[in-house]
Amino acid sequence: MGAYIDHFPREAKLIRSAFYTSFIMLALGGIFGVIQTLHRTDVVRFIDSADYYTVLTAHGVFMVIAFTIFFLVGMFTWAVTTSLERPLEDMSFSWLWFLMMTVGAVITGVTILLGFVESVDVSADVLFTFYAPLQAHPLFYIGLVLFVIGTWLAGADWFRSWWAWKRENPDERIPLPTFMVLTTMIMWYIATLAIAVSILAFLLPWSLGIFDHVNPLLTRTLFWFFGHPIVYFWLMPAYMMWYLLLPKFAGGRLFSDPLARVVFILFLLLSTPVGIHHQYMDPGIAEGFKFIVMTNTMFLLLPSFLTAFTVVASIEHGARQRGGDGYFSWLKSLPWREPAFTGMALAGLMFAAGGFSGMINAGMNINYLVHNTLWVPGHFHLTVGTAVALSFMAGSYWLIPQMTGRRLASKPIALLQVVLWFVGMTFMANSMHRSGLIGIPRRTAEPQYQGFEFEAALGSVSELNAQLAIGATLLFLSLTLFLWNMLITAFNKSAESPGENVIPTPLSGPDDSPAVLDNMKLWTAIAVVLVILAYTLPLASIVSRGGLLGRGGDAFPVSIDYLALFAQVALESAAGLV
Amino acid sequence: MSSAIQEQERERELGHDEFDPIGTLALIGIYFLILASMWLFMYFVEFLGNGPTVVGMI
Ligand code: HEM
Ligand SMILES: [Cu+2]
Repeated sequence: MGAYIDHFPREAKLIRSAFYTSFIMLALGGIFGVIQTLHRTDVVRFIDSADYYTVLTAHGVFMVIAFTIFFLVGMFTWAVTTSLERPLEDMSFSWLWFLMMTVGAVITGVTILLGFVESVDVSADVLFTFYAPLQAHPLFYIGLVLFVIGTWLAGADWFRSWWAWKRENPDERIPLPTFMVLTTMIMWYIATLAIAVSILAFLLPWSLGIFDHVNPLLTRTLFWFFGHPIVYFWLMPAYMMWYLLLPKFAGGRLFSDPLARVVFILFLLLSTPVGIHHQYMDPGIAEGFKFIVMTNTMFLLLPSFLTAFTVVASIEHGARQRGGDGYFSWLKSLPWREPAFTGMALAGLMFAAGGFSGMINAGMNINYLVHNTLWVPGHFHLTVGTAVALSFMAGSYWLIPQMTGRRLASKPIALLQVVLWFVGMTFMANSMHRSGLIGIPRRTAEPQYQGFEFEAALGSVSELNAQLAIGATLLFLSLTLFLWNMLITAFNKSAESPGENVIPTPLSGPDDSPAVLDNMKLWTAIAVVLVILAYTLPLASIVSRGGLLGRGGDAFPVSIDYLALFAQVALESAAGLV
Repeated sequence: MSSAIQEQERERELGHDEFDPIGTLALIGIYFLILASMWLFMYFVEFLGNGPTVVGMI
């Protein structure tokens, strides 16, 4: 027994590279995050408001496409190799998918950033939701395609490991960490199918000038087909940490392996047929479909509550083994000085708060109150922006030493960092939710209007803005501390055994659960059927009413038209010469 | 965080049958009450208490 790097030095290198890439993306995302916050609150405005959407697109894409998913591929590789106790089958294949993802992310990222360069007519100010009528330069979509294919190959790599393992262990249950990876990847394959269709069949040809127009509602619906399951793609690695690592850090064991399996299956089944809940306000989708989707969404509460129960119970188990007792005083026996533990616990607490605002978003009628207001970013900075991001950062304090064999540079700073994130996010999320309630819009560079004042029942708009700006500053500070700590750790000379790479066995093991839980084919089939049931009619009605390619309208911005015009002029003058 | 430290801090070993997650039940119960009361507030005060926002003239 030893650290991960002692067992799997080649895999550790790959995982390290994935983590470091994700940290670079996080750094870029964070810089744009603080710039846009200070801009929209009118504290510091050094960019042109016209460039706000370039900043916002960069923030969204670097954070939730690049940072989260690069981290995920590292985590999942760790989980599969650790739990199957076998190296990856073929490292050159693994490096291939990592390289594809990196090249894709760089192409997409550079295309977005070229939006700042006026002399180059390339931009991709389409926000991370990138549906029509917003149009990006073709390179934006091409980069995304490469990136997504990279993730598909990564999934194939993990499946390949599992198949190889299964041949050698035909009668054994799938180890839980691998089970989590496989179910999540099946969900991802189903979800990304829609975005592949959206990009390859519509957005890319349209951006290349092959089509004049596309059906915006169709591209929106295809985006959200993918857009809800992607939130679980962000969350599942965080859940994985909460199920596998948090009990370990707390000094306990996972409460129930079967319950964890049920949760991951429920997410596989339910996360795709709910995407239309992001479109409650879209005209062109019948209320009946929206109602069905709302019902499905409410069913998702079930695995969320199961998770809350299992994870908290596992922590409590740790606390009681450490001598804790009573209804609440066991909380005092937890290792609050450990940044990895405290960070994840705080992330979980914020997630609970996000559960509240999510419940409001999910209601078809009450959604009208908050739709497209700052409430919505308030919600997802609690979920992806903290539950996921803070868990990743906290987990890194354990994972990076495992992958490098080096000692964490500073534990006290790490502890300060996670607490600072929690405090900063409390300010920012509080402000965002309350601003949303009084109608302040999201995605707006200058949310102030002539002859109109937002009225806050409690406090004032300037107080809300101050909280937002202070929160963002604290978050940025926290981010800097994290990155600095990681940088020093990566070059730390003092090599010290980072502890053992073991996941404690659950209190109630997989043998207590029916074998059908491990039947991946069955769950895939049910998931596909549910998706077909949920989407056939809405998609058919969108296409029959609006046409596959829509009925007209202009793209924003129309950069490609210049190219077409230029080509036409060139051709005509050439023809004139002849 | 080395597991040696964790072993040291462990005072007792609790198996599946000796462990009753009452603390968890208490915490989740409180969370549920907060959720329910905040939902009631959002629905009856914020949502129904505000006039229509989309239809008609101000
Ligand atoms: C330094 C910390 C951060 C700050 C200061 C920050 C600030 C903000 C603000 C103010 C907005 C709303 C802007 C607007 O709608 O006009 C926003 C949007 C967003 N943030 Fe963050 N954020 C931070 C971290 C994160 C993290 C860690 C994530 C996810 C991992 C994230 C994901 C997003 C996404 C997806 C959007 C929506 C972009 C869009 O509307 O297209 N943010 N952020
Ligand atoms: Cu959703």
